[in-house]
Order: sequence, then structure tokens, then C-alpha cells
Amino acid sequence: MSAAAPVQKKAIRFRARSFVAFALTPELPLSGWLRGIDKWLGNSPGFFVGRPVVLNLNALPLPAGEVGELVAELAARGIRVFAIEGESLELGLDLPPLLKGAKSTVIEESADEPGKESADESPAPSRTAEALIIDTPIRSGQSVFHPQGDVVILGSVGSGSEVMAGGSIHIYGTLRGRAFAGALGSDNARIFCRRNEAELLAINGWYRAPDDMEPSTRGRPIQAFLQDGRISVVVLD
Amino acid sequence: MSLFDLFKKRGSAPVARERLQVLLAYERTSRQKPDLVLMLQEEIMAVIARHVHIDQDDVRVSIDRGDTVSTLEIDIQLPNGDSMALAS
Amino acid sequence: MAKVVVVTSGKGGVGKTTSTAALGAALAQSGKRVVVIDFDVGLRNLDLVLGAERRVVFDLINVTQGVAKLSQALIRDKRIEQLYLLPASQTRDKDALTEEGVGQVIAELRTKFDYIICDSPAGIERGAQLAMRFADEAVVVTNPEVSSVRDSDRIIGLLDSRTLRAEQGETVRKYILITRFDAARASRGEMLGIDDMLDILSTPLLGIIPESEGVLRASNVGCPVTLNEPANPAARAYSDAARRLLGEDIPMALPVDRRGLFDRLFGRRAA
Repeated sequence: MSAAAPVQKKAIRFRARSFVAFALTPELPLSGWLRGIDKWLGNSPGFFVGRPVVLNLNALPLPAGEVGELVAELAARGIRVFAIEGESLELGLDLPPLLKGAKSTVIEESADEPGKESADESPAPSRTAEALIIDTPIRSGQSVFHPQGDVVILGSVGSGSEVMAGGSIHIYGTLRGRAFAGALGSDNARIFCRRNEAELLAINGWYRAPDDMEPSTRGRPIQAFLQDGRISVVVLD
Repeated sequence: MSLFDLFKKRGSAPVARERLQVLLAYERTSRQKPDLVLMLQEEIMAVIARHVHIDQDDVRVSIDRGDTVSTLEIDIQLPNGDSMALAS
Repeated sequence: MAKVVVVTSGKGGVGKTTSTAALGAALAQSGKRVVVIDFDVGLRNLDLVLGAERRVVFDLINVTQGVAKLSQALIRDKRIEQLYLLPASQTRDKDALTEEGVGQVIAELRTKFDYIICDSPAGIERGAQLAMRFADEAVVVTNPEVSSVRDSDRIIGLLDSRTLRAEQGETVRKYILITRFDAARASRGEMLGIDDMLDILSTPLLGIIPESEGVLRASNVGCPVTLNEPANPAARAYSDAARRLLGEDIPMALPVDRRGLFDRLFGRRAA
């Protein structure tokens, strides 16, 4: 009688990765909220391409059928929802999975440019803010992402480019592109530029597009900051 | 503006038209079948290579395509120093 | 020391090929040995603008694939003996053009020529990237028009990141060449101003080429405008631009609205 070969046990490793996703929080009436999305897309087409989006329905429990419709409406606009947040939702298998326990978070691991792997044995994340200083203009199509702190640009930021910072953004030149300050959850971040021709100003998820910026702030040196839940754009003198 | 200037000013568009007619006639036919001139050149080269060893460096080819007649010029340096120009 | 200059823009139709021919001819006329290379795979144009369309035997891809030697593919201009053309291939296969192949061709050309001018296709895909890959200097052709300026900015960004020089920590020396400048429209405020363009692009100006029918006539007859009509304002502007490329410091002449009062009132245009 031959002994059965011992069964090799292969360990399946589960690895956890956390990363930052954009959360969209719909409000009623949905048609109005979708119009707002359309307006955003009109100003920044392709903004959501390649960005993971979570649909936050914590404050808006919808029946499963309507959730499905909403996901489809977003998909039709090129926005792919990869998870849904919501306490008491029953979702079918054809919908993105339910995400529980999501937190607003400030991420400390570095994620400088897409394509750069973060170091496996990186030194303990430092809490001191590190400013990134760039002394050349930012050209159309380029993207700067600096979650660790402020970004200072000594030059202009071209139309069709974007600057994203965990902290504030200081542009010693004309801002013609998009600026996202406080990108990882900081309400205190501000955006400064010598000449405001921005395609988009965003601070911690709140945003203002050129259409709803006061004309008096266009073409002038400004600072933008969060106040009472909306972005104030104030001319610097 | 004299009559001469009038002719001069009308001169460049007809030139363009002629150039395009010749060129596009050639390009349309060559899309369907291989270029006759290039084929001739390859075959002539192959014939010569059967008799004499030649280096690609020693061969100069030039072509002038016209609407009715194209001229192919192949210039070959043969190994013993003689150069023989072949025009067909 | 040979110089590789890419003529690029991002946007199509702004005058890259015309400018390549005009600058190449002007440089050759000033005594330099010049080769112009057409990098547009599948849509050959430089040969047409130079009037060499009937003499194309071998092209860039033939050379990179070893089907032909460089000396067999180069077409010498019949009018300017220091000017040579390396035509583009008419094949549809863009992948046939490899970086390694182009690198070898450029290396060989560096031993034979003073200036190697690469006519880039429009866009930012492979042909355009390969055209700029080995550049020492770049002429970014821009029309006074918003999408052209935006595309030029994008291209400048690529020149600073995707070229061999950029990857080795060196810079590609860049110039803006403004083409199709219409002085009348500019004075009426209908055309993007030169100062605005330079402010946005933050790059030195090589020249301002006025809109001119002479450019059209030149390509109709297949002769670079600097040779066909040297006194034409566009031709003179190209000649000045070529001299600036050579390092001469020539004051920038702003094309003026040369129409008389009569023409301005009744809206006619001068050459």
C-alpha cells in the first residue's frame, strides 16, 4: 500500500492595501446633483478617468434599484464606482461591493508620481510637512501630486495641467490649470496665485469652477480658502 | 499690374496641379501593385550580383518619375575600379 | 559639432513642414551642410514641399530596417547643393519606426552634416516622440490661436521630459516660432498677441512669420519660400530665424500691417 503523497498546503496571503479614493456624496434631488456633476465634467472632462470613486450613501439610503440606476448614470458619464459606502444597504451582486468602515484619512505613505513604487521599508512616516518647490513652469498635461505638504511653483501653471497637494499651493505666476489643496483631508489648506485664470480650484473636495467665481477675481492675485463649507476666493492686494 | 504679372500670379496653381496629377497617379497605382521601377532595380541588381560581387555601398540609384516616362538611373562601381553606368 | 533640431508643435497644420523646408534651405544657403528628415510615417509631405516627390526611392524606414543605405536614401536638392532630404515612409505601420533604428541613423548623420532637422508629425504619439527623442534644440511652431498655444505648451513639457537629453539631465534648447501671424487681425485685437503667447509659453522667440501667399506659392511649385521669393516678408522672416538659430542676435521685426488706408477701409489684404 503506497502512502499518499503529503498534500502541499499553499498559504494564500491576503495583503491589505489602503489608498485614497475620491468619495462622491449625492444629495437629493438626484437630478440636480447629477447636473452639478455634468457641470464639473464640462469644466474638467476626463477628470474621473482612472480615479477610483466611492459612492457615499451614508446620508442617503436608497433602495437597491435606485442605487443601481445611480451607478449606471455615473457610468454613463465615465465615472466608475468601485465601492459603495452605506450603513444599511442591501446590494445585489451586480453592484459594486459595500464598503464598511471607511474613514476620512490623512495618508502618510508617499505616493509621488504614478508609476513610482513606494519603498517597502520606508522610514517611519514623518509628520513634519515637507514643501515641494518647483522652479519651472508646469506645462499643459503635466501633473504634480505631493501629499506630504505644500507645493510652491515658481512659474506659471499651464492650462490643462494640475497641481495636487496635501497642504497649500503657492503659485508665483499665473494659474491657468487646476489646483487641489488639502487633497487628503485638510480643511486649512489654501491656494495662492499671482494671477487667477484657474480652470478649477479645489480644497479638500470642495471646488469652484470658473463659472461660479466672481469675475472680479479673475486675472488678479488671489487666495482661496474654505469658509463656512464653501471656498472663498479673495483678491490679494 | 501688367499682363505679365497676371500670368506670373496664375503660374503657381497650375504647376501644383500638374505635380499632384503625376504624383497621385503614381501613388494610386503603386498602392495596388508593387512599384515597377523599384522591381526593375531589384532584379537588375540581382542579375549583376550573379556575375560580380558588389556591395550595396557601391550602388547609386536615382529615379525621376514623369507622367508618361520615368527614368531609372543605376550607377555601379565594379570591384576592379571600372565604373559602369546603366541607364534604362 | 552637428546639431539635431526638431521642428514640432503638437497641433497639426500650423506650418511645421513649411518651416522645416524654409529653415533648412536658409541654413544650407548660408553654407551649412543640412539634412531634413520627414518623421511622418504614412503621410509623406516634406518631399512634396521641397519638390522632390518624383525622386523618392528609399525612405527612413528602409534605412532603419537595413533595406537601403543612408547614402542611397538621401536625396540631394537640385537647387541648393548643401541641402539633403531623407523622406518618410508611406507604410501604414507606425511600429516599423524604432528608436534604435532612428538613433543609428541620427548618429551616422551627425558625422556628415552640420544641421539635422527633424520634421515632426502632429500629435504626441510615436512619430512625434521619435522626432524629438534625439534633439539638441527644438523649434516649437505655434499659431496665434488658443489651441495651438495649448498644444505647444504640452509639447514643451514633453521636450523637457521625454527626450534623451532630458533623461540625462541636460536641456533641449527651445524656441517658439510664431507662424501665420496676421498683423491686421492682431492690430484689431482679433488675434492672440505675441506678448500673451510668450508669457504663457515662457520660451524664447525665434521669429514671427507673417501670413503670406508666398508660402502657398512656394509649396505649389515645390521650392522653399526662402529660395522661391527671397524678398517676400515670410521668406525674410525665415532667413532671420535661421540666422538666430546660428546664434546671431538679430532684432525682432514685428510684421506690420502694410495695407494702405484704402485697403484698410475696404478690407482688402496685401500679400
